Amino acid sequence: MPDQPPSDDALLISLAARDLAALAALYDRYGRLAYSLAYRILGESAAAEDVVQDAFLSAWRGAGGYRRERGNPRAWLLSIVHHRAVDILRRKTTFRPAPLELAELQPGDEDTALAAEKNVEHSTVRAALEALPQAQRRTIELAYFGGYTHVELSELMGVPLGTVKGRMRIGLQKMRRALERSR
Amino acid sequence: MNDHILDDLEPYALGAVDRTEAERIASHLATCPTCRAEAAALAEVVATLPDTVALREPRGTLRERVLAAGRAELQPAIASTRRRWSLGTVRLSRVAFAGLTAAAIVLGAIDVDAYRRLASATAERNDYDSIVQALRQGARVWYMSGKGDFAGSGGTLFDPRAEGKQPFVLFHDLPGIPEGKVLTIWLVSPDSTWARAATFRPNGRDVQSVQITMEVSGFERCAVTLESSAWGPRYGAVVMESRIVAPTSP
Repeated sequence: MPDQPPSDDALLISLAARDLAALAALYDRYGRLAYSLAYRILGESAAAEDVVQDAFLSAWRGAGGYRRERGNPRAWLLSIVHHRAVDILRRKTTFRPAPLELAELQPGDEDTALAAEKNVEHSTVRAALEALPQAQRRTIELAYFGGYTHVELSELMGVPLGTVKGRMRIGLQKMRRALERSR
Repeated sequence: MNDHILDDLEPYALGAVDRTEAERIASHLATCPTCRAEAAALAEVVATLPDTVALREPRGTLRERVLAAGRAELQPAIASTRRRWSLGTVRLSRVAFAGLTAAAIVLGAIDVDAYRRLASATAERNDYDSIVQALRQGARVWYMSGKGDFAGSGGTLFDPRAEGKQPFVLFHDLPGIPEGKVLTIWLVSPDSTWARAATFRPNGRDVQSVQITMEVSGFERCAVTLESSAWGPRYGAVVMESRIVAPTSP
């Protein structure tokens, strides 16, 4: 009987036991996605690679303290990537209100949809995001990939803070329902 | 009784709050099961957002960098504080050792057996065996001299010729550095791009070997900086550096 690949949870247990092969397996499983996310946020390969290296090293060091309530291992790892990348982005760029069109020119935008459609799981999420009204989708994308805080978004989009929060809330609620329906 | 902060949870889940606000929300979540449950549900949705990005292939060297960084934390220090690089009763200066090693390799005539005897004489052959193996077929070598607070220390970058052997830097006499700081080895390309090759803290020993995680070829300088973060671009001061564009070996 062929060996089943270890689950993500099993990999984290092995990681906590300082098993280098588990680190390799985790990288093979999520390295590409982690790099793609970091690149999407930073738009630069060298910085994206630094973020990925740092995130995997954090997982390597922190696997022993990993708790399920932080999310599944994949979500946990990608949240490290996201936080590190956004930190760098915010350190590199002092927020100044800019024309919204400029703020929306995020790296990787031009090929995001095309490449994501090649993957069924990815296209489901993408479809859920695309189905949102434009204002909600833009708000979520600028917050998550653009690194803008809700206060900055309020200024950038010229709408009250409550409106920004409302767009986030309704947008994420709709995505949640869409993803639940697809399962 | 908690006042719920449900309105803040979406920005928090998306990472769209500043550090102060994030800490305030995290403190609240630690004590409020209602908000915590809602935050967890939102986090699940947000965790799907990476699936919307275009997949890109990182360079193949990134995998090696990640593994080398993990491996570096597993490796016991190559040198011991209790032992000194010595030959008989004469302690060998670490600087001289680095220089001798470099010179031998530069001349293209490293005598591995003699090197091994030296290691054996210091009763640390096993510790140094990996270095000997890496240098068996010689290497290109560059020496970086410490500046400022690092004066008197230095590091020799070895780029082994042997296939599959990674470059490494053999440091000597590194001073201690403040808590929260790290030393970063950079390779600098001709267009002045600084690529992080390794990050480490001095281990307090006379000699410390640090493996670097990328090919040396194509870069024109190597440098070491004192940094506050183990990631991100270079901010810190250069404490040692060397041009590496022209090989010093034949």
